[in-house]
Amino acid sequence: MKILLKAFLLTAPINFVYAAEGQKSAGLPQMDIATFPSQLFWLVITFSLLYLFMWKFVIPRLGATIEERRDKISNDINDADNLNTEATDILKKYDEQMANASQESNEIITNSKKAMLDHLETLKKENEEKVNSLISESQAKIKAQEEKSKIEIRNATLDTVKAIVSRYIENIPSDEEINKKLN
Amino acid sequence: MAADNPIDPIHQFEISKIADIQLGGIDISFTNSSLFMVFALAATMALFVIGLSKKSIIPNRMQMLSELSYNFIANMLRDQVGDQGRAYFPFIFSLFMFIFFCNFIGLIPYTFTVTSHLIVTFAFAGLIFIAVTIIGFVKNGLGYLRIFYPSGIPIFLAPLIVPIEIISYLSKPISLSVRLCANMLAGHSILKIFAGFIVMLGFLGFAPLIFLVVLYALETLIAALQAYIFTILTCIYLNDALHPDH
Repeated sequence: MKILLKAFLLTAPINFVYAAEGQKSAGLPQMDIATFPSQLFWLVITFSLLYLFMWKFVIPRLGATIEERRDKISNDINDADNLNTEATDILKKYDEQMANASQESNEIITNSKKAMLDHLETLKKENEEKVNSLISESQAKIKAQEEKSKIEIRNATLDTVKAIVSRYIENIPSDEEINKKLN
Repeated sequence: MAADNPIDPIHQFEISKIADIQLGGIDISFTNSSLFMVFALAATMALFVIGLSKKSIIPNRMQMLSELSYNFIANMLRDQVGDQGRAYFPFIFSLFMFIFFCNFIGLIPYTFTVTSHLIVTFAFAGLIFIAVTIIGFVKNGLGYLRIFYPSGIPIFLAPLIVPIEIISYLSKPISLSVRLCANMLAGHSILKIFAGFIVMLGFLGFAPLIFLVVLYALETLIAALQAYIFTILTCIYLNDALHPDH
């Protein structure tokens, strides 16, 4: 803004002076050949300076910055791609491990179930055998007791019979005789 | 004339001396035209010095602006000429920035439009014409003369086509320079005339004022557009010199 103000201040009085003096050259100012050398001279100077500035300063620096940014962006994209593939790999591995683990756990569950059932079966069998043997033992005991009781009853009967008979008769019958009668 | 007529539309194009300099009898005074050439140079330098002062990966506004202009011209050159045009990029870029800033600074009231003078635009056009012709002959040898006889034209048409092509080639610098200069001259004259109408009509001046606002917007567009056209035509001429077969 300061520059523009300066320009105005520098040129405005000159313009006013020219306006007051009246038009010096008739026709278009563009056709005033006298001004050509000055215009060309300053054009060459300013444009050469601009060209040098652009060539030596602006283009190398801007080009480098733009190139740098392009590199950075492509590097970042590469990095992102690499990380992405890495992440995909990890996910795949994780999925595999999860599948393996679930399979393993399933196996473990089935195996332990089977083992448990087997164990139960054997226990059942053992107990049955034990119970059976106990039953047969008891049965044998009962039978023996029965036999014993039978003999004891007979003996008691014999003794009773003998006692009763001896009270009424002198002659005591022998055991064989009583047994014969009892049967 | 200027004293009688306060809204003389031509007055703004007059060249007035600021410092009188004579070199070997030639008048090379520092004039208002020279001053605004320096302003265009300073504006371009300011844009890039500020834009490049803090070069970062993520650009700020001024850096963005300088990179946009760089990419704009770089893409234009690549599209029109291809990779062979790289060597001429500093010139094309400088040309665009200089004309662009001359046109735009000229839109500010009480300033001077450097590009409204035919000698300035003709200096550019003439330089481009000579440079393109030299580049054409250096790169293609005498084969460059093929541009005057496009392939696929029957031989009996040659006496007709070749002179037309030569005339059109020679008129390139004239059309290039006159286009820019005339656009600036006409636009700024009309702006000045309508600005004068506002003063002359007093209260009724709002009508030309509205028109002036619209016209000013159009002139802003033309200032950018003419810089663009001048630059892209230079690229096209350069392409013709590098690839005369196309």
